[in-house]
Amino acid sequence: MLRKRNLLTTLLIVLPWALLLTVWHQYPTEANATAKARFNGTSPLREEGLPSCSWQQASGVSPKVIQNYVYSRPPPWSDTLPTIFVITPTYTRPVQKAELTRLANTFLHVQNLHWVVVEDSPRRTNLVSNLLEKAGLIFTHLNVESPQSLKMNGSRIPSHKPRGTLQRNLGLHWLRDSFNNTQPPEGVVYFADDDNTYSLELFEEMRYTRRVSVWPVAFAGGLRYESPIVSPAGKVVGWKVVFDPNRPFAIDMAGFAVSIRLILERPQATFKLEGIKGGYQESSLLKDLVTMDGLEPKAANCTKVLVWHTRTERPMLGNEGKHGFSDLRMEV
Amino acid sequence: MKVKLKNVFVIYFLVSVIGLMYALLQLGQPCDCSQHLRSASDLMHGKDKKISQLLSEVKRLQARGKDSELEGQALPVIYAITPTYARLVQKAELVRISQTFLHVKNFHWIVVEDSPVKTQLVSELLAQSGLRFTHLHTETPKEHKLKESDPNWLKPRGVEQRNLALQWLRENRELSEEGVVYFADDDNTYSLRLFDEIRSTKRVSVWPVGLVGGLRFERPLVEKGRVVGFYTAWKPNRPFPMDMAGFAIALQLLLANREAQFDMLAERGYLESSLLQSLVSIEELEPRADNCTKVLVWHTRSEKPKMKQEELLQKQGLGSDPSIEV
Repeated sequence: MLRKRNLLTTLLIVLPWALLLTVWHQYPTEANATAKARFNGTSPLREEGLPSCSWQQASGVSPKVIQNYVYSRPPPWSDTLPTIFVITPTYTRPVQKAELTRLANTFLHVQNLHWVVVEDSPRRTNLVSNLLEKAGLIFTHLNVESPQSLKMNGSRIPSHKPRGTLQRNLGLHWLRDSFNNTQPPEGVVYFADDDNTYSLELFEEMRYTRRVSVWPVAFAGGLRYESPIVSPAGKVVGWKVVFDPNRPFAIDMAGFAVSIRLILERPQATFKLEGIKGGYQESSLLKDLVTMDGLEPKAANCTKVLVWHTRTERPMLGNEGKHGFSDLRMEV
Repeated sequence: MKVKLKNVFVIYFLVSVIGLMYALLQLGQPCDCSQHLRSASDLMHGKDKKISQLLSEVKRLQARGKDSELEGQALPVIYAITPTYARLVQKAELVRISQTFLHVKNFHWIVVEDSPVKTQLVSELLAQSGLRFTHLHTETPKEHKLKESDPNWLKPRGVEQRNLALQWLRENRELSEEGVVYFADDDNTYSLRLFDEIRSTKRVSVWPVGLVGGLRFERPLVEKGRVVGFYTAWKPNRPFPMDMAGFAIALQLLLANREAQFDMLAERGYLESSLLQSLVSIEELEPRADNCTKVLVWHTRSEKPKMKQEELLQKQGLGSDPSIEV
């Protein structure tokens, strides 16, 4: 009788302590977990093969967005050089793989370059995924489909309609999501279309942009080159262009770069979609970021051409006929 | 003093209740362990940096080790013969293929200008490219030259220039030197893997070419590791219905056959055949690119840039500064 009672008493003594210990054990680790997540958010870049994270916007107007961050081991990455984020919108057509291949060959020479490729597509294609994985660059692969009205049609290419707008905006959105405004990384954002030609010198010119830097672009606007007009004091005072020189920023997409800090400071600055005349896309972004006297002229005060607005011919595929001739399983 | 069980119970009960209350109150407060975590994260950051530094060091040493071992084996030199001519996009084209070529080991670029003199544009570009190069020039005779309005296929292009490069190789290289010759036009697109395939050529190797001949790709047909025919829709009865970018020739084969060259008077599409038929037969061709199932080179062409505004300005005498090179 006494033994049983002893047992009971010891049990009752131990019980509250056991409960206390289990309760106390759980809560401190929960607080730890939230701190760890914050730490992870600031340095995502060095990880390999993160699991995909997908979300869809519910609103009917904006398109469905599926995101995935995939990184690969980069060429030597310096901790002191500012990063160059290159945003390239791309879309499926026969020369796509060739264009992206030669772009990748160019970018492999540039240190601390982070390539943000945004496909105009409902989902990320295998062609681009494989190309990016094999390229050996640090990259982010995104996609967003343009609504039918803005889409690139194979037969009619409306050159006055803004193209790649949604894709570039998604690239900007990703940057704003990934980086903290209070501790912005040193870097610059450049919009590089997949058919232009870039010299390696160009990237070093843009790397130390403080706000927005500008330079000449060859073959833009029906001229040998379009260029900002730079005063002897080194300030941009106008535009040496023929096509609509009254634009607020009469410059081609390939002719300017914006510092990351400025992008993060002004989260409302994006490319506008509605009501933008041909040639005004760049202005629709830049007017929210900077004024003309805040521009930094590069390329020896805008006297050297370091980027060419080349365009690739649409290949003649007439022998494919109506039903196709070549094996579709071979990727071109 | 005799400890009464009842007292012990009471004491325990009170202590437990107080402890529980304390723990519950703690739940409401934000955790003050961020300091401790930040130092831990800094430590990890530092370790991360150290690891990436060490990894890049290892990679560098590995590469150096590989290089020295390969140089011991003498990697065959790839000679890329690029005919070029002055036009608006010339500099852009040469800049971007040079960026591709910079990745290729033991590479020698032979650039032949269609020009009576060596132009400053090409000379400076080559000097700054960082590549090993040979700069030649020869002007296509007037009767064989394309006029502005001619379609680009009307007359064969680059024939004199490629032949000059072949002649230079024959005069400046010995049979003992290992090398492979590839005809790389300045507007095509080359993947880096292509050059690995080129390098292993013993006589003449072949592979598919994308976006050519009116098709997504043209390619040799391969059975049991041998070329048995060609998959092409345009003039398939040519001896070698291939594009210039679809084959490479071993240097020794060219040095041994000193007369083999491109025929200026060849019919449209027969240029490649005019060289290859004196060098090799179809059975001797070596298929590359996974038995000719992968496209590693594309026959891209660049649009002529629209110069409407420039022409208008020049009429008014206000053309763009010609001293700024484009």
